[in-house]
Amino acid sequence: MKLTRQDLEAIAAQPDVDPPEWIRVQLDTGGIAAGAESAFSALANARNERHLSFSLLRAGSIGYSFADPVVEVQSAGMPRVHYGQVSPEVAEAILDQHVVGRKLLDDHVIATRARSLEIGAPVTHVLVCDTGEGAGSKTEFFQFSFNEELKRRGLSDRVQVARALDIGIYDEGAVVQLLPSAVTYANVLAPDVARIVAESIENGRVLDDLLWKTPDKQVRVALRHCGNVDPGRIDDYIRRVGGYQGLRRALFDLTPEQVIAEMKTSALRGRGGAGFPTWMKWQLTRAQPAPQRYVICNGDEGDPGAFMDRSVLESDPHAVLEGMLIAGYAMGASKGYFYIRAEYPKAVERIERAIQEAREHGLLGEQILGSDFSFEAKIRLGAGAFVCGEETALIASIEGRRGSPSPRPPYPSVRGLWGMPTAINNVETLACVSAILEKGGERFSSFGTATSKGTKVFAVTGKVRNAQLVEVPMGTTLREIIYDICGGVLDERDIKAVQTGGPSGGVIPVQHLDTPVSYETLQQLGSIMGSGGMLVMDKTDSMVEVAKFYLKFCVDESCGKCAPCRIGGYQLLQILDRISRGRGSAEDLVQIKRICLAMQRASLCGLGQTASNPVLSTLRYFGEEYQAFIEGGPSYARKMSRAAAGGAGAAAAPPRAAAAPAAQPSSGGAEL
Amino acid sequence: MKSAAPEGVPSTGHRPVELTRQDEGSLLDLLQDLEQRHGFVPRDISEEITRVVEVKLERLRRIQSKLESTTRRDVQQHAERWRNEEGNLIMVLHAIQNQYGYVPREVAMELSRELGVKLARIYEVITFYHYFKLQPPGAHNITVCNGTACYLKGSTELLNETRTQLGIAEGQTTTDRQFHFEVVRCIGCCGMAPAMVVDGKTCGHVKSSDIAGYIATIKAQKGATK
Repeated sequence: MKLTRQDLEAIAAQPDVDPPEWIRVQLDTGGIAAGAESAFSALANARNERHLSFSLLRAGSIGYSFADPVVEVQSAGMPRVHYGQVSPEVAEAILDQHVVGRKLLDDHVIATRARSLEIGAPVTHVLVCDTGEGAGSKTEFFQFSFNEELKRRGLSDRVQVARALDIGIYDEGAVVQLLPSAVTYANVLAPDVARIVAESIENGRVLDDLLWKTPDKQVRVALRHCGNVDPGRIDDYIRRVGGYQGLRRALFDLTPEQVIAEMKTSALRGRGGAGFPTWMKWQLTRAQPAPQRYVICNGDEGDPGAFMDRSVLESDPHAVLEGMLIAGYAMGASKGYFYIRAEYPKAVERIERAIQEAREHGLLGEQILGSDFSFEAKIRLGAGAFVCGEETALIASIEGRRGSPSPRPPYPSVRGLWGMPTAINNVETLACVSAILEKGGERFSSFGTATSKGTKVFAVTGKVRNAQLVEVPMGTTLREIIYDICGGVLDERDIKAVQTGGPSGGVIPVQHLDTPVSYETLQQLGSIMGSGGMLVMDKTDSMVEVAKFYLKFCVDESCGKCAPCRIGGYQLLQILDRISRGRGSAEDLVQIKRICLAMQRASLCGLGQTASNPVLSTLRYFGEEYQAFIEGGPSYARKMSRAAAGGAGAAAAPPRAAAAPAAQPSSGGAEL
Repeated sequence: MKSAAPEGVPSTGHRPVELTRQDEGSLLDLLQDLEQRHGFVPRDISEEITRVVEVKLERLRRIQSKLESTTRRDVQQHAERWRNEEGNLIMVLHAIQNQYGYVPREVAMELSRELGVKLARIYEVITFYHYFKLQPPGAHNITVCNGTACYLKGSTELLNETRTQLGIAEGQTTTDRQFHFEVVRCIGCCGMAPAMVVDGKTCGHVKSSDIAGYIATIKAQKGATK
């Protein structure tokens, strides 16, 4: 069925609403790997056995990777909650206890981040979680105290107390959340329990001294539908969450110039890392006279440790497709390519389906929505080459050639794919575009700092307690992201540094954690924004090894076309290897800096120009570690590699006894 | 059958039925045996052997050409699907690798004829990208993720353990072609680091002590299907 402008207007006036009772299972690659599909089938079977009537829905991921698989439950008379770590057994328990028994499950609830300051409705459920030292040891005590207190006041059949898996506030003692209004109290002590029950639960009064007033630091723009929309059903996107309204607005209410002006108002800059203003890129492409122009969506997320693009493509493919259509309209392009890594089969499958469904609904092809605008979108698969994230190499790869970069200028906006003007936008950029056209550029630019507007998605992983996707306004500090949103460092160790920007970025040491995140500030610190990977490293991680790891990656991935990158990278790696074996000399450090400078100045493309960043930034902030290796000699190096093997083992599996067979190869492996 | 063979061939004359059922090893034994007994190989026997060998060769040739024609048909199908697209080479190679698990040489040659692209260019692309393989994969694939998140959480140990367990280095296949061991950059499951993919199934939070279990499970399954 082909949609028209009128259809979309009618839908905008009267969007579909969710059925009254539903369970959404978050099926993205991460969730499926953790067992989301077996949870889904367990729910489906149990529903049929028990003759229940709720709708079982599929969705992408909200980003809570630490709790995969995640399901969201809406059931009559119950607050809407997320459950994490849902095994098939837990899935059945959710049906029996939550849907039928109207009780929250212990130890699996992920509390909502949309905290309220007022008790709007009578309290029906209480979540407790001890976030202080000792990792939740007092949670059960608080649950017991609340239950006793409720019993004493005769409220125990009206209010249920459940232990939460994660409550979204960290290192603030015992935290209590009153549902359904989500009023949250932090640093609750045992004597406060009676007060909370008497005042808040019985009389609906907020206790101001305990109230957690800090609002959630996340703002979801690119991730706005992730975990809430079915990526495999275009109807869900169009009819329920207002999808393709941004496209309708662009096509019928705005001229292409006005779309570009709207983008200028939003001040969106490329989310792939370099931060080039998106509107300018479009304008340059549009200004170039040509019979054909192209839009490319760069989904070649080669950054190890980053999964934002995968998650957006899998969870909300239509938002990206809509962004691409808008970009095509704005610059007069009629063809678009999704360039996606072949290592992301789920993302490819969902974009393929999105394209097919969009075509069936008249959102791709000739005369889209009855306008004069025509557009075709296709998929091209990457084949495992990091350099193909570079735009000229990416174009070569789409043309079916080996992905070697070529010198710029001419820039792709002048001469790109098959010699035609081409605009290459990152997945996240395009997901933002559709939001900007729907909600307006001013709303987007109201977030962020003076030079970096809007929000940015980060994949926070490494030695962090809650590895997850976060989307924060620019200007949020690293400390807020890591400690307030992601719960700090794993096993309560001390943080040493944060790595941003992947192999092209650098490390940011602990003393700069209060830096607000923006393109400029990160660059000043010797790192880059990059596509948004953020790796947390603790005291046990050796910076020399980390630098070597990234450099080895870049050496492996160098296409070999230009000498500074091919030879410089290799020589740099040799020197680092020598140092890490304790055989370096003081001159080596000087030599490293010279090679790095040559690579930065003389390399052909971004890969070579930035490959030395991890080395330079570790040298800048952790020069003493290099010195220690040089002065300590081979015996020190051996000691360090043993410690690293032991440390990694302890981090991976604390209860495991000393693994005798693993110990020996590990020391060899450190030389990898 | 083998033990019965020498008596089955009398010194005077032969029984073709017996001969056709011999495998090469016992044929040679038989000839040696005859030579010892007679001092020479009787002409009628040697002629019969030549005939049988030719029949076998003919059969092999037929199988070969049948294989070639299926290869040709497959390649034609893939090429047809992408014929009118610009820059189709990588997508065709993806289709071929999906089908065979690697890019066999004869398929690459056929593709070169079909698309009118030089074989050197096809190999240029295949060898440039990590994803394309020139060797057949093992029956079971074990892939260890070595993305940064996994690296920080101890993927080095997993690599070492897998190397020890399988006795091969990354990128290699065991001699019995049962296991192929690969290291990848990042599978995008950084939330569950360190991660491995065992026969297409992603395993998260892997400990090095788990690896022996994964391998044993695969071996046990194989035993069960036998």
